[in-house]
Amino acid sequence: MGILNQLAQKYKRIAIVGMAKNAGKTTTLNYLIEEAMDEGIVIGVTSTGRDGENTDLVTGTDKPRVYLDAGTIVSVPVQLYELADAGLEILRMTRYFTALGQLMLCRVVDSGYVQIAGPVNTAEHKDMCNEMMDLGAELILIDGAVDRRSIAAPATSDAIILATGAVLSRSLKKVVEETLHILSTYQLPRIPEGELRDRIKTGAAQDRIMLIKGGRSEFLDLKTSLTAGRILDDAIDQETEWVFIPGALTQSVIGDIHPSKLKGVTFVLKDPTKIFIGATSWQQLRKRGFQVNVLENIEIAALTVNPYAPLGYSFDHRELLTAMREAAGNIPVIDVMYGE
Amino acid sequence: MRLCNPKTKTETGFDYVVHGLSINTPYGRKRVKAISAFEPGKEEALKEELLRLEKTVELVGSQPGRVEELLETLQEMKDNSFTIQRSDNSVLSVVELYEIKTLLLQMDKVRSLLDAADVEVPAEFILQDTTALLDILDPGRERINTFYIYDAFSEKLATLRGEKRRIELDIRKVQKEQKRKVEAAYGISMTPKFEYVISKADKQLMEKTRAIPELTLLDEDYVSATFTLKSDDRVDDLKRSMERLNEAIEEEELCVRERLSAEIGAFRSMLLENCTAIGELDFNLAKAFWAREHNCVKPEIVKDHVLEIVEGRQLVVEDILQKKGKQFCPVSIDLRDGVTCITGANMGGKTISLKMVGQCAMLAQHGFYVPCTRARIGLSSYIHILIGDSQNLQRGLSSFGSEMEELKDILDRSKDGALLLIDEIASGTNPVEGLALTRSIVDYLSGQAYISLITTHFDNVSIGGKIRNMQVRGLADVDFELLSREIRYANRRERIEIIGKYMDYRLYEVADNKEIPKDALNIAQMLGIDRDIITRARKYMEDRKR
Repeated sequence: MGILNQLAQKYKRIAIVGMAKNAGKTTTLNYLIEEAMDEGIVIGVTSTGRDGENTDLVTGTDKPRVYLDAGTIVSVPVQLYELADAGLEILRMTRYFTALGQLMLCRVVDSGYVQIAGPVNTAEHKDMCNEMMDLGAELILIDGAVDRRSIAAPATSDAIILATGAVLSRSLKKVVEETLHILSTYQLPRIPEGELRDRIKTGAAQDRIMLIKGGRSEFLDLKTSLTAGRILDDAIDQETEWVFIPGALTQSVIGDIHPSKLKGVTFVLKDPTKIFIGATSWQQLRKRGFQVNVLENIEIAALTVNPYAPLGYSFDHRELLTAMREAAGNIPVIDVMYGE
Repeated sequence: MRLCNPKTKTETGFDYVVHGLSINTPYGRKRVKAISAFEPGKEEALKEELLRLEKTVELVGSQPGRVEELLETLQEMKDNSFTIQRSDNSVLSVVELYEIKTLLLQMDKVRSLLDAADVEVPAEFILQDTTALLDILDPGRERINTFYIYDAFSEKLATLRGEKRRIELDIRKVQKEQKRKVEAAYGISMTPKFEYVISKADKQLMEKTRAIPELTLLDEDYVSATFTLKSDDRVDDLKRSMERLNEAIEEEELCVRERLSAEIGAFRSMLLENCTAIGELDFNLAKAFWAREHNCVKPEIVKDHVLEIVEGRQLVVEDILQKKGKQFCPVSIDLRDGVTCITGANMGGKTISLKMVGQCAMLAQHGFYVPCTRARIGLSSYIHILIGDSQNLQRGLSSFGSEMEELKDILDRSKDGALLLIDEIASGTNPVEGLALTRSIVDYLSGQAYISLITTHFDNVSIGGKIRNMQVRGLADVDFELLSREIRYANRRERIEIIGKYMDYRLYEVADNKEIPKDALNIAQMLGIDRDIITRARKYMEDRKR
């Protein structure tokens, strides 16, 4: 069974996210689209809308132009419809708008290149994906964010495909290590359904740091923990079991907390994208008994590797693939350049 | 000539009703912008308009399911009138053709829903049959809302596209053959897209690959180079004919669009008329829903200049009260040419009653149902409500100054059959001159063929007999002991509410020499004004009487 067929059995919506710019996100998307053609799966293709800030100033826009086969369902804004090289049958005018006009859902009748765009709003994105599935898409591929930190997952997709590659570092070991770090943070334990989860979710609405001490909730008057390490250190006592942090979890916060206190508590985050601690420091903290749980996890459907970096260096693709496969456990790893 | 000024529309609450209509289509919104008053003499036209509304109310009441479906269809409609206009002399784009097809399907739906209705549907809502045009845009008769320049539109197009697909396959066949040869000869492996990607960093491999005569550099960036098969004569030939085909296909697609646009153009006026009918339907549905929600009745329109309202309600105030869980106390009134004065207690709802009369008259005259249990209304030639507002103060005029300016305007504009609603004229100046001025205005107005309704605090305004006096019952029948006991421990907001609870807002006709009840001091006291001040004021009253 091909990779797309496998993915389609487990997930409905997959976002493709790059570890960094030039990690091979668009290559990955094109690869998956080609695979879908070979495997005969009807896919839907869309992208997460972006605001002005994320627009690529170098290339002008960040709407990838992808080659789509007949049968594919795709979201196209009105203003880009006439520019499409493919023949597109208009199926539905949606309620969603982009800077380039109202979005339409189309079926590719005559294969060719299409510029895609999707809704900016997360809820709208979800609704539109459902509409695409109504129209017959078996699996939806979402051209996701360039940088993993800005992804809106887990809200917009069931799982992500993480594009990683030589662009991260000149050292192959480092590339594997950084990728592995992301993998492990995305697989942190999720707080299970139950009283504790309900309590944290209710408290999370306040958008403040929350400590749970033997069944009591205590809030700190701090929105983010960016400069809050010392105050947090003060607030954590013998009784403290859980610490919920609504914003970013950074090295500086944890650094200010006394190592002996770290062991006794479990930190809780909204989702793994809130972690801003590098691989090395993360490992050291873990050794000291540092524990993190999350409310929502991000499922990784597959990893893709790109052995080339824009700076000119490259790895032996087979070596990178082997190293990554060893590190990734049972997550499929694909070399999109060579199709292995 | 216009019936009234914008301020009268706002102050009476007419605008409130118009803005509260839930319109679903852009055509309905256009219709709302075209709302206009029926002038005296246009009674028959107004009756027809009201009959349309009556039939719509019936439709809404008797076929809720069908109306629900109708609303759903209307809600999806977009404004395509510009596209329809354009179809006459321009070529529509694929998206525009799709939108027209969508509109045709929607029109079809509306038409069949109205056809199936068990009650009589006004002729103005009936859409003309556009099935012939829909058939042209939907050659497969699938009636599915999708669009593309389908092969079915043109045999030529179908042939060209078929040929293109054949050539594509031929090219692929030739390339596959080449790929196999190259892969076998040089021990490399190419992608299914006939590409061979290598890292530029590998200088040796680059050299080697460049040397392969069957390959050519397709694309390179600073990282990698992509080689592809060099095309041979066979492929070149095929690609050339493919180019020609592509051009021919594009040309034929344009022809199809031209043809379809012209077909739409031929239906242009029919489509535009249908849009107007949809607007009329949408507008009437909105009015009908509004009338049902607000318990409004169809007014009886008569030739005489009269205004008879039984248990009328002012909707702006009623809605506010309802949000607080309270009810509006309905007021009945019966007006004809001449002056009617409303007197009575402070907080007695005189101004609200004035606005209620204005709202009912305005609504009826614009073809709406009226918030009351029965209304008999003759059309006015001019309607004006003169009421204090803050806008003139902002312009820098004193309240008296702006009032006089507006009064002059009213008197200049009024003609026979006018309806004038005047709230506490000349109350902003000294009582001696104020009373004199009010009396002379009343004298003047009573000589005109206008319906004039005036609220005032002045006694004895209406000496002269021709004037009718209405009085707010107010606190006249109230047990003050009870009231003041209840109010003693209330806070500020509660006090107002308690007074409101005891107040009787209804109007009664009284003899002209009856003195106006003096409740101002009672109310001031109840609202917590210092006892000393009240006592002193009572003393001054006594002195004056003596």
